[in-house]
Amino acid sequence: MELVLSLGIGIMAGSGVWLLLRPRTFQVVIGLSMLSYAVNLFIFSIGSLAIDKVPVIVDGVPLDLENYSDPLPQALVLTAIVIGFAMTALFLVVLLASRGLTGTDHVDGVG
Amino acid sequence: MPLLTFVLLPFGAAFLAGMVPTHARTRAPLIAGIASVVSFVGMALLFPGVENGGVISQRIPWMSSAGIDLVFRLDGFSWLFGMMVFGIGALVVLYAHYYLSSSDPASRFFAFFLAFMASMAGVVLSGNLIQLVFFWELTSIVSFLLIGYWYHRKDAQRGARMSLTVTGMGGLCLLAGVLILGNIVGSFDLDVVLANRGLIHKHPLYAPMLVLILLGVFTKSAQFPFHFWLPNAMAAPTPVSAYLHSATMVKAGVFLLGRLWPVLSGTELWFWMVGGVGLTTLLIGAYVAVFQNDLKGLLAYSTISNLGLITLLFGLNSKFASVAAVFHILNHATFKASLFMAAGIVDHETGTRDIRRLSGLRRQMPVTATLAVVASAAMAGVPLLNGFISKEMFFAETVYIQSIPLVEYGLPLLACIAGMGSVAYSLRFIVDVFFGPSCVGKVPLEPEEPPVWMRLPVTLLVLACIIVGVAPAAVVGRYLNTSAGPVVGGVLPEYSLALWHGFNEPLVMSIIAMTVGIAGYLFLRYARQRGRLLVPPVLSHFSGNRAFVLILANLTAFAHWFRNRLLVAGLQRQILAMMLVVFAVGTGAIAMGGGPGTRAPLPLSPSFALLWLVGGLASIATAWQAKYHRPAAIILMSVAGLVNCVTFLWFSAPDLALTQLVVEVVMTLLLLLGLRWLPQREPKKGIYNARTRRQARVRRTRDLIISVSVGLGMAGLALALSTRTLSWTVAPFFLEHALSEGGGRNVVNVMLVDFRGFDTFGEGVVLSLVALTIYALLRRFRPAPEIMALPPQQRALPTDLQTDLLNPRHAKDTAVGYLMVPAVLVRMIFPIVGVIGVFFFIRGHNEPGGGFVAGLVVSVSILLQYVVSGTEWVEAHLNVYPRRLIAAGLLTIAASGAGSFVAGYPLLTSHTWHFHLPLFGEVHFASATFFDLGVFLLVVGSTLFILVALAHQSVRAHRHVEDH
Amino acid sequence: MRALISWAMPHLIVVPILLPLITAGCMLALGEGRRPLKSAMSTISGLLNLGVVLVLAWWVLENGPVVYLPGNWPAPFGIVLVADQLSVLMVLLSVVIGICALFYSSARWEKAGVHFHPLGQLQVMGLSGAFLTGDLFNLFVFFEILLAASYGLLLHGSGRPRVSAAVHYVAINIAASSLFLVGATTLYGVTGTLTMAHLAQRVLEVPEADRWLLHTGSGVLAVAFLTKAGAWPLNFWLVPAYRSATAPVAAFFALLTKVGVYAILRLSTLLYAGQSETYGRTSLLAFGTITAAFGALGMLGSKRLASITAFSIAVSSGTLLAALSFRSEAVTGGAIFYLVSSTIGISALFLLTDVVERWRNSGSTDPDEAPFLSARFLEVENVNLDDDEERLVGRPIPASIAFLALAFMTFALIIAGLPPLSSFLAKSLMLSEAMALPAVSGALQGQVWLFVAVLLGTGLMSLITLSRAGIRNFWSSVHRDPPMLRLAEGLPVAVLLLVSIALTVAAGPVTRYAQQIARELHDPASYAEAVLSAATVPPPAKKRSDVEVEEVVP
Repeated sequence: MELVLSLGIGIMAGSGVWLLLRPRTFQVVIGLSMLSYAVNLFIFSIGSLAIDKVPVIVDGVPLDLENYSDPLPQALVLTAIVIGFAMTALFLVVLLASRGLTGTDHVDGVG
Repeated sequence: MPLLTFVLLPFGAAFLAGMVPTHARTRAPLIAGIASVVSFVGMALLFPGVENGGVISQRIPWMSSAGIDLVFRLDGFSWLFGMMVFGIGALVVLYAHYYLSSSDPASRFFAFFLAFMASMAGVVLSGNLIQLVFFWELTSIVSFLLIGYWYHRKDAQRGARMSLTVTGMGGLCLLAGVLILGNIVGSFDLDVVLANRGLIHKHPLYAPMLVLILLGVFTKSAQFPFHFWLPNAMAAPTPVSAYLHSATMVKAGVFLLGRLWPVLSGTELWFWMVGGVGLTTLLIGAYVAVFQNDLKGLLAYSTISNLGLITLLFGLNSKFASVAAVFHILNHATFKASLFMAAGIVDHETGTRDIRRLSGLRRQMPVTATLAVVASAAMAGVPLLNGFISKEMFFAETVYIQSIPLVEYGLPLLACIAGMGSVAYSLRFIVDVFFGPSCVGKVPLEPEEPPVWMRLPVTLLVLACIIVGVAPAAVVGRYLNTSAGPVVGGVLPEYSLALWHGFNEPLVMSIIAMTVGIAGYLFLRYARQRGRLLVPPVLSHFSGNRAFVLILANLTAFAHWFRNRLLVAGLQRQILAMMLVVFAVGTGAIAMGGGPGTRAPLPLSPSFALLWLVGGLASIATAWQAKYHRPAAIILMSVAGLVNCVTFLWFSAPDLALTQLVVEVVMTLLLLLGLRWLPQREPKKGIYNARTRRQARVRRTRDLIISVSVGLGMAGLALALSTRTLSWTVAPFFLEHALSEGGGRNVVNVMLVDFRGFDTFGEGVVLSLVALTIYALLRRFRPAPEIMALPPQQRALPTDLQTDLLNPRHAKDTAVGYLMVPAVLVRMIFPIVGVIGVFFFIRGHNEPGGGFVAGLVVSVSILLQYVVSGTEWVEAHLNVYPRRLIAAGLLTIAASGAGSFVAGYPLLTSHTWHFHLPLFGEVHFASATFFDLGVFLLVVGSTLFILVALAHQSVRAHRHVEDH
Repeated sequence: MRALISWAMPHLIVVPILLPLITAGCMLALGEGRRPLKSAMSTISGLLNLGVVLVLAWWVLENGPVVYLPGNWPAPFGIVLVADQLSVLMVLLSVVIGICALFYSSARWEKAGVHFHPLGQLQVMGLSGAFLTGDLFNLFVFFEILLAASYGLLLHGSGRPRVSAAVHYVAINIAASSLFLVGATTLYGVTGTLTMAHLAQRVLEVPEADRWLLHTGSGVLAVAFLTKAGAWPLNFWLVPAYRSATAPVAAFFALLTKVGVYAILRLSTLLYAGQSETYGRTSLLAFGTITAAFGALGMLGSKRLASITAFSIAVSSGTLLAALSFRSEAVTGGAIFYLVSSTIGISALFLLTDVVERWRNSGSTDPDEAPFLSARFLEVENVNLDDDEERLVGRPIPASIAFLALAFMTFALIIAGLPPLSSFLAKSLMLSEAMALPAVSGALQGQVWLFVAVLLGTGLMSLITLSRAGIRNFWSSVHRDPPMLRLAEGLPVAVLLLVSIALTVAAGPVTRYAQQIARELHDPASYAEAVLSAATVPPPAKKRSDVEVEEVVP
């Protein structure tokens, strides 16, 4: 499982980086969101991947990491998702503005 | 008076002088005069304290913890300099008052002048090396301002900048040297340094330290090869030259030589560096001076030569020579200052400084002529004048030196040659200017004697030359002893200041120098009249000036080139650089031998593998399609996003899955909204041939390698971390306290609103910031022209077409016409979605959900209204005030956070109430709910704000379309 | 008074974070217009904030670090705010610069777009938070706040140069932020904690097999910080962004790079202990020296005053990074002194540059500088109603040129690190301390010499550049009318001028303070102790009772 997930993270990160290295603004914005996917999963994969151990407290179940998955990474990922979303949205709009002012969708605003 | 006042008084006076209005011409010089005279007298009164080796000092704590205190320290040597600084300063002030024209802003001049006087006093009085460097650089900076007094003139600008650069550079070297010295001795205190000769000489860093310090000295005292700045500094007003470039600033260098002579001198290195440079400067200065046509230029080179003489004397490693050096410092100051003033008078009266145009001025200004003749006679070393005596001492020193034969025979010879040079240029100054046919009518102005007060300073100085020259021992004997004592380390050598030592080698040398000098002058004059030897042979090809300008220009050009190559880059290069750095870090880590952890992995489930097969393919496909098929890329990306969701769900993180899903929806909608502002596929630009194609291929391969390696790195890191069990983690704490004190069963949500509520707090702020930014930016944004037009599909409709297919842009209500079905559906959804939002919000604390998700859900429903019904309709029927929502959200968050202050608890402390409700049963109500409400408001407000901004783009675009 | 303070004390620490937030909220509630009111609000809240921070600084000086537990959860579990001397100093710096920049903007720049003042407030909030937080992930959040604010401020006034610069700035920073996340969470994966103080303890217990993870995490983190600090080759975005940003914003940005430096300073003393003592020292030195040298070359190669100033930022951060690379208490002391004085100098020079350049282009900034202030735009664009179209004239201050020239010279000297100003003292302090380092090895000797050479060399190059610039700007032979210097523009510059002079006069106390800060920094153990021993406020009887009820239930 871990291996598969790690490979998945790697692939997402790789394609994100590849897109970041492209010249068109749209590619860059897509690349950034791919990268944030990868990063979110990465954070999530820290600690222990666990199946059917939702960190929602059920009475009578002892409160430890044997029975619940580590809630901290999840909380971090939630914050990361939101911030990543906000930043990507902002970047998208900046790209539109730059396209409007420079007349091109090249990242450097030329040709 | 305490030593500090010698620095403070001039500084204060400078401030005052700067304050007086420009047109009030007498006030500024008056202030300056008073300040300098008072300081002069004060300094004179301190003499008893420093006589026979006494030291007065005053310590003011400054940066004590760094071992840097303000220490003002006066001994005989610095006393001599103090007297020169203030005495000559006073004279120059008087002179300058008459020199400056009525249109010159006197206040600025005297303000800077006094500031310089203060910094110079600071240099000579420094008892701490760092403090010395401090004032040292200050003199450079102030002299920059003084040289640039007539700032609109190009030569003033060049001269000022050149002197600042050269002396500033020297100052930095000096700083380095001083730091090493202080580090060797373990203190910057001058007394401590002077007490540690042996330690310094033995230290391995002696050589670099000496070289650095000497660099400072040579630049300041215009020694070869840094001498070129002094002639250029002649662009300054003559009083400035008379003060800075004869008596004070250029003397700072040799002052430091004398100051550190006891501890630094006495080594081979010292002899060869100081002596060698001094000798070279002495000769070159004298040689070039003879050929000058500018009065001040001549004086500048003679100054260089004299400074070389002093440096040489210090370099000889003999106490006697050092005494001679000190004596010559004094003599040179007197005659050179007076000469500069005389040159200034000539310039002032005739309107030119060109020796070739001047002649026979003795008729028009007999007094000035006499004074100038005497002064330059002193410079030439004529008996009965002070210059003669110090020169005799110098000659004597060269004769009696013990060293290798080359030096023993070469030095006297070269000294003699230098003597000839000085005689020659002195003659040039006198004869060409004051004798011969009258130049009246050939010069701009009608020359006449200057006002007597303007002549007074010159007269006084010349008198000094004569008195000292006639009865040296009687007049300056004890003062010289006092001031030379500290230099030679207390014990003075046997020497006599008598005029007549009998008929000995030095006298012979003087006579030779005199006669040959006169002969040489006559020969040169003859040659010049024949139009030959107008420029110094050989040396005229090497100009430090040109070299300096060239170096600076090339440096700047190089910097410009460098900047465009290595300091500017497109985004791709920047990302590339970043990834390479990361790559370096990663490889460094792998070199340490990383590996996966030991925890037994979860059993692999094929469906999960399949899921990720899809996910991986989708991501790769996105990367591949994003250039030309944007919608396809968006779809593929959301596939990847969905795979994320499922993964979260799989590994028991429902909250994440939910959030990811909703965010996914909103993001996709935004992308779709933005999509239409991007240009269509552009026609191929640029050159496409084999070479560019190859370059492109290389570039792609490079990027591919990098992305693959980064991906592998991430994968490896993720594997390593996910297969490790933490020996210890904070996690259990949250599980244990979530319900009992957080008052919620959904630990993740409790973490968001309670344990790590502060993060959520910040996250909300980020969201609103982004919304504000986007709005502010988009209200500015005019869409690109080619996308203003209607899309082709709509242009296809004939305008007179009778149909219920109406153009949604003009549609007041899309619920009639061809959008009826979706419009009605979407409007029906609206309240339902609202309910769902509330539901998520309420259950959030115990089940997956929460304010954030709820907010997104609600805003999605409104977003859909915009998409289907168009901006006008929505805003006509449903007034949204996103900015107010954001404001409310921010304030709610702040309030709910700060609410706990009332109960005396820290920010964001949550309180829980538990009570039973009919048909709800046990209910936990946490105060954190208010906080969640704030988040909810923020999310709705922000998303809507962004949306409104984007939507209004299209409205505006249509306005444009209809306008045109 | 004292009693009042001690009563309010633990809570006072959040004021620098909450106050700007509330101010921003109120401003937003006020809508778009009402500029005078808003700038008044921002000034007042700024001054209040300043007062509080001063009190805080005094308190910390008296009674050691203040630890605050938002949410009332004990240290390694909840988020913790720590106000030790360094944090307070940095907060103080940001508040002062914030007040000056925002006040300056009321002269003209606030009119160039909407939301300027709220963004400015939130920028201050983000900075304060970043300096005060003691939690790694929370640091990330505040980084994002201050970055988001900086995006908004950079784009303020829009126009092609700004937007194109913003594309790079935003993209790079988002990428850097993902690095931040990866690094920070890797550290969590190794140590199981996010509280910095606790990290300092946990890193000592990291098993050898995991050390490479520790280094990778911190290394990736460092790359993110270096990017923010503007270290070459991660700083290509810096000059275009700072040059094209409006003057008050640029003044803010001079501080933003220092956040990266601060983070490196803070974490390197906490993380690199024991086995990892020397990890990354050499590379940090390399980054620092190269950055400083290249920055100086850039200054030399630029013509526009704005670009020169922007490059000088690279010089200053480079110098700091190099100084920090020694990880020596003594050198750090000098570095902190240098940080303060150079930051103030650069910020002020940005403000000054604006006035001077406008003066030289006879009263108006060049069109591409402020498209939305030029009359042409006001005609064609009916969209931005937010520019009230009043003529931008000011009361001429007598001898305004003299004032400008004096100020320019002062700040130029500060940047070049020449006497008579504080940065010279700071530089000599760093250098002498670096030389006094026990020469454990030839390598260190070499590094010290490199450090010395770079500091002095960059100083010389700055001197050359700035004297050239000064001559071109103030000594030009063509006659110009004296600039229309508005009070709103003159005052902030004057204030910063006075501050820099005060830093020189009071060099003694300042140095002692800086050295004290350095001592505190290089004693991570007691920092950790102070943070982790912070007690939570005991729950009231009522709450405890239902806690018991809860525990009975299962």
